[in-house]
Amino acid sequence: MIYTQKKPALLIMGLLMLAIWFGADTGLLNPVLTYLSSGKPYKYLNEISSLPLYFGVVAVVTGCWHWLGPHQEGQLDYYSSTIAGGMLILLITMLIRWFIAPQIEVVSVDFGLIGNTGKYIHELLGLNYVVLGIVAGIIIANVFKVPDWARNGVRLSRLGLKTGVILLGALYSAAELKNLGGLSIIMIGFFVLGSVGIVLWIGSRRNISNSMGGVLSAGMGVCGVSATVAVAPVVQAKPVEIAYTIGTILLWGVGCMFAFPIIGHLLDMSHVQFGAWAGTGILNSAQVAGAALAFQPDGIETLMVAEIFNITRVLILPVIVLWLAIWYVKREGTTSSGINVGHVIITKFPVFVLGFILMFALSTTGMFAPASHYQGKYFGNTPAQGFKQENLLNSEQTEQLHAEIIGIDKNEHRVAVSRLIENGKIMTIEDDNAIRSIIKTGTLSDEAIAILSAAHDAVRHTARKIEAFRQWITWLFAFGLVGLGMQITVSSMKQAGGEPAIIGGIVGFIKAALSLIVVVLLIGETV
Amino acid sequence: MLFRHILLASHGTLGAIAAEDTALQICADNGMIDHLIVVPEFWQGMTGDDWLNNGVTRDQFRNYLQAELGREVDQQCERLHRKISASACTYSSLIQFGRPDQALLQCTKKQTYDLVVLGSPRPRRMSDLMALRSKMLTKQLMTAMQTAMLIAPHPK
Repeated sequence: MIYTQKKPALLIMGLLMLAIWFGADTGLLNPVLTYLSSGKPYKYLNEISSLPLYFGVVAVVTGCWHWLGPHQEGQLDYYSSTIAGGMLILLITMLIRWFIAPQIEVVSVDFGLIGNTGKYIHELLGLNYVVLGIVAGIIIANVFKVPDWARNGVRLSRLGLKTGVILLGALYSAAELKNLGGLSIIMIGFFVLGSVGIVLWIGSRRNISNSMGGVLSAGMGVCGVSATVAVAPVVQAKPVEIAYTIGTILLWGVGCMFAFPIIGHLLDMSHVQFGAWAGTGILNSAQVAGAALAFQPDGIETLMVAEIFNITRVLILPVIVLWLAIWYVKREGTTSSGINVGHVIITKFPVFVLGFILMFALSTTGMFAPASHYQGKYFGNTPAQGFKQENLLNSEQTEQLHAEIIGIDKNEHRVAVSRLIENGKIMTIEDDNAIRSIIKTGTLSDEAIAILSAAHDAVRHTARKIEAFRQWITWLFAFGLVGLGMQITVSSMKQAGGEPAIIGGIVGFIKAALSLIVVVLLIGETV
Repeated sequence: MLFRHILLASHGTLGAIAAEDTALQICADNGMIDHLIVVPEFWQGMTGDDWLNNGVTRDQFRNYLQAELGREVDQQCERLHRKISASACTYSSLIQFGRPDQALLQCTKKQTYDLVVLGSPRPRRMSDLMALRSKMLTKQLMTAMQTAMLIAPHPK
C-alpha cells in the first residue's frame, strides 16, 4: 500500500506558514499583532518570526515531493506520509496560539472582570490556546472529518506528547522529584486502588459480567483509555463492553478537562494543588495534560506536577493488569493457563518513562544548567548576568517600601528590604530568599508586595537551555493535544451508557470530589 | 403478499431479532434473504485517545478487538443462517464496515431487492447489552432509499 497521497495540501500549508512568517518579519502583520496584544508587546513575536519559516520550508519542500514526486511502497513512503498530518496539526496549533486565543482574550477583556472573582471570562473558563486547540481538533474530526491525506500523520500526536514528557525530565530538581513522586505514589495508590476496588464491588452488586467489571475498573481507576486498551484482552472483554467503557471515559474525561480548570480558578488553587488534583481526579491521562495546560497556559509548573502523577499512574498499570488478570481467572473459575508476570511487566512497561528518567539524570549532571541553578533558574543582579537597568526601583517605589518596612517582623527580612531600598535591586541570594518569604507571608500592602515581586523577578533568570526546553515542551504538548482532539470522535463518546455509565459516573464523581478535598486540605502551595 | 428477495439488516439486538422474525414471515418459499451486518465505523476512533501505551500493547488490543468483532459477526451469521435455513428460504450474508445507513444504501444500489427489513430503534430507557449507539434508521436513509422498507416494531 502507498500511504503518501498526491495532493497539494502540504504545499499549501507550507506556503501559508511562510506567509505568516513574512507578514511578521516585514511588519505587515503589526497592526493585527498590536490589536491582539491590546497595545502591549506581542508575547509570541519570537515564535511567529521564526517557527513558521523553519516549518514552512520543510512543508513546501516535502509538499512538492508529495504532490509531484513518484511514490513507492516502503518505509520511506510510510514515514514521509505522516508529515502532511503533522503539519496540519502544527498549522492549527499556530493559528490558535498566535491569533484565535489572543482574539478571544481581547473580547473577554472588553467584557470586563466577572463579579468579584478578579478574573476575566477567558481566565475563568480556561479559554486558552490549549483548550481551544483540543476543541478545534474535536470539531475538525467530527464536523469536517480528518482528510485522508492527514490521517496517517495525525497519529504523530502521541509522539509529541511522549517527547514532551521525556523533555520534562530535564526540569525537575531531585528534591522536587522526590517530594512529588512520594505524594503521587500516596495519592495515586490510594485513589487508583480505591476506584478499582469500588468499581469491582459495585459491579458485583449490580451483577455486571466479570469482563465488564474488569475493563471498567481499569479504565476508571488507572489511566482511562490507555488502561482499557491494556486490560481488555486480559479480562476477555466483549466489544460492546469496551465500547461502553471507552465512551464513558471519553465523555467524563472531556467534561473534566473543561470543568477542572474552572473549579481550580474559582478555588484559587496553586499550581501544585491543581496539578495533583487533575493528576488524580481526571480519568483519562491525555485530559490530565490538557487540564494542566488549560489551568496554566503560559507556564509549565502545573503540567510538571500533573505529569508526575500521570507517570505514576502508567507505572502502576502493569500491576493493575496483573491484579485484574488474577481476579478474572479466579472469578471465572477457569484454570489459569499461566499468567506470565515477567511478560506482562515487560510488554506493558512504558518505555518513554526511561527517556524521562534519562533526561532527569542528565540534568543532575549540570548538562543543561549549572548545579547552582534551582529549578532551571539562577540569581543574577549585574547586566552581565542578565539584570536590566530599567528594573532598578524608582524613588516612588523605594518610598513605598520605606513607609512599610516597620511592619516587617523578622530582623533579617527588614535588613534585606533596607538593602533593596539602598541599592534599588536585590544584592544577594540570601536577600532574595528573605524577600520571597516576605512575599509569601503577605503581611505588607498589595502595592509593596507587587514591588517586591518585581524586584525578585528582576534578579531571577532562566538558563537559556532550560528556557528552550520550556518552549519546546509547551509546543510538543499543544501539538499532541490538538492531535488527540482530532482522534476523539463523538460517535465513540456516544457509546457511553447503560450500567458502565452509571458506575463510571458514581466512581468518577467520588474520585474527583474526594481528591479535591484531600488536595485542598493537605497539600500546600509548594512541595 | 410475499417477497422473493429481501435485504435484512440485523446485528442480533432485540429490535433486529424482531426484524428477522418479520422477514421470515413475509419471505416467499424458496425466496432469498440477504443478511446485512455492519461493523460500525466508530471502532476506528475508539483507541485514538490512548497515548501512554507502547506499540506492543496497542497492537495486542487491535488484534484482540478485531478477532472479537469477527467472532461476533460469525456468531450472528451462523445463528441467522440456521434460523433461515430452517424455513424454506435461502440465506446469504453481506458484511460491511462503515456507517450503518450508508452501508444499507450501498447494498440496495448494488443489488435490486423487493423489500428491505430492519428493526425499529430501541425505545428510551430500555437496556439491551448487545446494543451500540449506531443508528441505521437515519433521515438520510429515509430520503435516499429507493426500495420499499419495512420497519419491524420493537418487542415489548
